[in-house]
Amino acid sequence: MRRPGFLAGLCLTVLSLIPSATLAAQEIRPFVRGSYQQIVSARQGKPFVINFWSLSCGYCKVELSMFKELVRKYPQLDLVVVSTDAYEEMESVSGTLEIFSLGKSETWLFADSNTDRLRFEIDKRWYGELPRTYFFGADGKTGAFSGKLEQKDVEQWIKEQYGLR
Amino acid sequence: MNRTLLALFFVAIGLVDTQAAVQHDHVDRAPQQGREKKWQDSLAKPSLAVTATFDESGKLWLASIRDHHVYVSYSDDHGVTRSAPVKVNAESENILGDGENRPKIIVRKGVIYVSYTQGLAKPMSGDIRFSRSTDGGKSFSAPITVNDNREIISHRFDSMMVNDKGHVYIAWLDKRDLSAAQKKGEKFSGASVYYAMSENGGISFRSNVKIADHVCECCRTAMAVDTDDYPVVVWRHIYDANIRDHALAKLDGRMAPVRLSQENWNVAGCPHHGPSLSIASDGIYHAAWFSNAPERHGLFYAHSADQGRTFSSPLNFGNFEAQPARPYVFSLGDRVYLVWKEFDGENTGIFGMHSGDGGKSWSVPEKLASTSDVSDWPMLISENNLAYLSWNTKNEGYRLIEMGVKNK
Repeated sequence: MRRPGFLAGLCLTVLSLIPSATLAAQEIRPFVRGSYQQIVSARQGKPFVINFWSLSCGYCKVELSMFKELVRKYPQLDLVVVSTDAYEEMESVSGTLEIFSLGKSETWLFADSNTDRLRFEIDKRWYGELPRTYFFGADGKTGAFSGKLEQKDVEQWIKEQYGLR
Repeated sequence: MNRTLLALFFVAIGLVDTQAAVQHDHVDRAPQQGREKKWQDSLAKPSLAVTATFDESGKLWLASIRDHHVYVSYSDDHGVTRSAPVKVNAESENILGDGENRPKIIVRKGVIYVSYTQGLAKPMSGDIRFSRSTDGGKSFSAPITVNDNREIISHRFDSMMVNDKGHVYIAWLDKRDLSAAQKKGEKFSGASVYYAMSENGGISFRSNVKIADHVCECCRTAMAVDTDDYPVVVWRHIYDANIRDHALAKLDGRMAPVRLSQENWNVAGCPHHGPSLSIASDGIYHAAWFSNAPERHGLFYAHSADQGRTFSSPLNFGNFEAQPARPYVFSLGDRVYLVWKEFDGENTGIFGMHSGDGGKSWSVPEKLASTSDVSDWPMLISENNLAYLSWNTKNEGYRLIEMGVKNK
């Protein structure tokens, strides 16, 4: 290793390749303690939806395909999707999210094997049943729903929140 | 040489490789095979599930999963020391051991009975497998597949019981009727619940019998044997469009399924949270379950004095602000025990309470054990007329704790 300068140069070249590659594959953030609060506080006063799903949940896939349609129809919809799978399943989660291509939606993946601890921070009254969706209105009103949502209900909420007719 | 820089370099290479792999996959347009491989990979995850039972001589038997095999070991000192584990399935299989899945073990009159679910090639598919040992756990028979439908679909969430006649009953959730409907382009809500019975101690099973259509897809079944030697099965049913409350049926060929719970939980989703059942020597049925209906939620207990036709008004127990989960009910005559999990934000605790009058009145809940990381669900077993909590945790390992010592 006599040429650290060369190595450093190569290293920088390689690093510079990463951002574009990451963007192309959609960044999935590690969901840890504090992440939920981070997601919510970053959106104070704005309407948004947080959807929890997992690879093993059939109803979640149906719901993700509904969201795929909704983010196209309503580009202003601020959707955050969080997978409750294990962080080791990143590749699988990423592959599934590519299929549902949710546009600019923020994506996260549970990164703490103690999922009880993560759920406790999100909602003490959520037992892990999926899909689970939280609606945050601009007026501070929130709603929590277990199970697959009806598209018309979600559209109605979006129209109200984003002032669409 | 700058070591940090070098490390950074390799990290960077690693990242690019991963991205290249993802993109390559994408170019290949083979998400289906990719998902199947990932399902297989997910099956190889370590399992915390340990199922235990006592035999008539007080020996504790344990079934667990490691590296594609079910292992059985025993302990002569309540779990303090254990025998070398013996493989049940000689050939490697994908054995489901997470969430609602675990191996089942029963030891009666010198025979060790084991059932489990084998994950198949497609995501969320499985077969129900059975094996037994007739030489005291030294060796196990080659596992047989109990479901007689062999499509690569879901046959999962098995429960097993052996009665005094040595008849083996296994019930499970089965998607064959959903599959048949889909082939005809018809809609079918949920899965079905099936069972099979062996009259020869598990050498072979009779044809599969359907118990009911339209059951919740991913909540485990539970089974207990009634005083007349017929087993009773409990499962989460789908009533109307999507009301996911519980039902039960006795497998005597005469009883139509009866609705057990009435919370009216309307959810198009996967609760992954099945019920528990115990039948006392006096014939009283004791059931425990979970619901998250808006009005009635948390853990529930009820008993029936008329073979499940009607149940007492459900008792809502556990601290609803502490995610009470995984209720397990167990009876010894008119003594009844309940255990469940609660989480306080940092630690998982196992709570318990007991009744001395067949479930009519209950003690104050008491914390029996706790852990700061992930854990299996709590179960109750008995030996010499004493009940024990059986619980495995990542940090502390397997624990067996006598119930009700303080209040006997």
